[in-house]
Amino acid sequence: MSEQNARDAGPSVQPDDDLVFRKICGLLEPLTNGDVKLTRDTDLVTELEVDSVSILDIVMEIEDAYDIAIPVNVISETKTIGELVDAIHQIKQEQA
Amino acid sequence: MGLFEKFEKDAAVYNALSDAGKNPFTVVMEEMTGPTRARIKGRETVLAGTHNYLGLTFDTDSIAAAQDALSASGTGTTGSRFANGTYDGHRALERELADFLGYSDCMVFSTGYQANLGAISALAKPGEDILFIDADCHACIYDGCQLSGAETIRFRHNSPESLDKRLSRYDGDEKGKLVCIEGMYSMFGDIAPVREFAEVAHAHNAFLYVDEAHSFGVYGQNGRGVSEAEDAMDVIDFYSGTFSKSLASIGGFVASRHRELDYLRFSARPYMFTASPSPANIASVRAALKKVVNGDGIRQRLWQNINRFHGAFRQFGLTLAADPAPVISVLLPNRERAFLAWQFLLEQGVYVNMAIPPGTPNSTSLLRLSVSAAHTDDDVTKVIDAYGALADAFEDARVASQA
Repeated sequence: MSEQNARDAGPSVQPDDDLVFRKICGLLEPLTNGDVKLTRDTDLVTELEVDSVSILDIVMEIEDAYDIAIPVNVISETKTIGELVDAIHQIKQEQA
Repeated sequence: MGLFEKFEKDAAVYNALSDAGKNPFTVVMEEMTGPTRARIKGRETVLAGTHNYLGLTFDTDSIAAAQDALSASGTGTTGSRFANGTYDGHRALERELADFLGYSDCMVFSTGYQANLGAISALAKPGEDILFIDADCHACIYDGCQLSGAETIRFRHNSPESLDKRLSRYDGDEKGKLVCIEGMYSMFGDIAPVREFAEVAHAHNAFLYVDEAHSFGVYGQNGRGVSEAEDAMDVIDFYSGTFSKSLASIGGFVASRHRELDYLRFSARPYMFTASPSPANIASVRAALKKVVNGDGIRQRLWQNINRFHGAFRQFGLTLAADPAPVISVLLPNRERAFLAWQFLLEQGVYVNMAIPPGTPNSTSLLRLSVSAAHTDDDVTKVIDAYGALADAFEDARVASQA
């Protein structure tokens, strides 16, 4: 995506981020005890105790929901829900 | 102390189980009394969790070949395949495997893990290639992807449609593409539609890599694996396998119809920088391979045992993960129940594997039984009786409990 297009997409970033965030939370909830409030800062491993494969499975759901390709390599570098949202959002923009 | 803190949580569970003498991951086989029997905690136990599918670990011809090689060529090669450890036996085994599979080339590695690690990491380069892997692929395939540094995309397990969708997202991209699947998946014992995968991969100019670690010698009319059973030997690009299951030794291999496989000899680091398999290992594999090639009724005996176990377990109402296969897995609702069920079987004199997340598909917990052609009638009876008792004692291992 060109710099110009990225700027054009600017205003839609926040609501779309929120949509991705809510989508991820919806997929995470069945895997958690329900006693942790999910925020952007929630740590996937230390707080939610979600294993690495489950996170990859969630990413696969996101790939199909938005018809984008999310490499495993990108996900292995994310720790919090917010970082995962940001990584997915960036890929969405690049592949738009 | 910072270095060890990350282990503390897992270590607490691990140590508690070990202290209680109940750690499934530290079982010691004190004495092997045959291909399907060992003494565990002083007790004669039926081994139904060792991947000794053809039961050749005590094959007299394999043992004699290994003993001869030991006398003739020594205990170890003290060198790597690349630098100073390639013997005539390594080359001969590569030729024999390539001929058996009908490919031009084959490379022998020191373990099956290293075969996948080495081949995948050498074939794909960061920024130049993309790897597509089945979600349920073994850790060594994931590790090969990671070591390669290349972009890696997962597709849904055993779904050519999911692969097609993901490959389509890269159509027009000039990068090299390699698709990795397994013939039989070792957790559930389910098999891949290899030919369909080959068609999808090739439609998108991708190569197909099939790991037949658990299916070599077991599937196919001639024992060439699921790829043979699926009539796909001539369309797959890379075929990997191990010596530590049906061939009853240790080591691994990658074979291909592409002569370029040979380039991996100077690019696959897990091939280049580790000691080559010992002469005795290679000799026993060559002898075991002859048994696979000759058939010798072994596969028939294996499949008879598979059907006996699977049929009995189904009768007990146990929740089975897949159709009859050399791996038969019973699903349990969670780790704790799987652990108790595993322990229950061991107390009945039957050793199987317990598998729990994250090493399992869909975060399942299961007991994995590996069938052997060497399981005797007595072994089969003991195992079936133990599973019958399990079905009585663990209602949640039965299908009805989940309805």
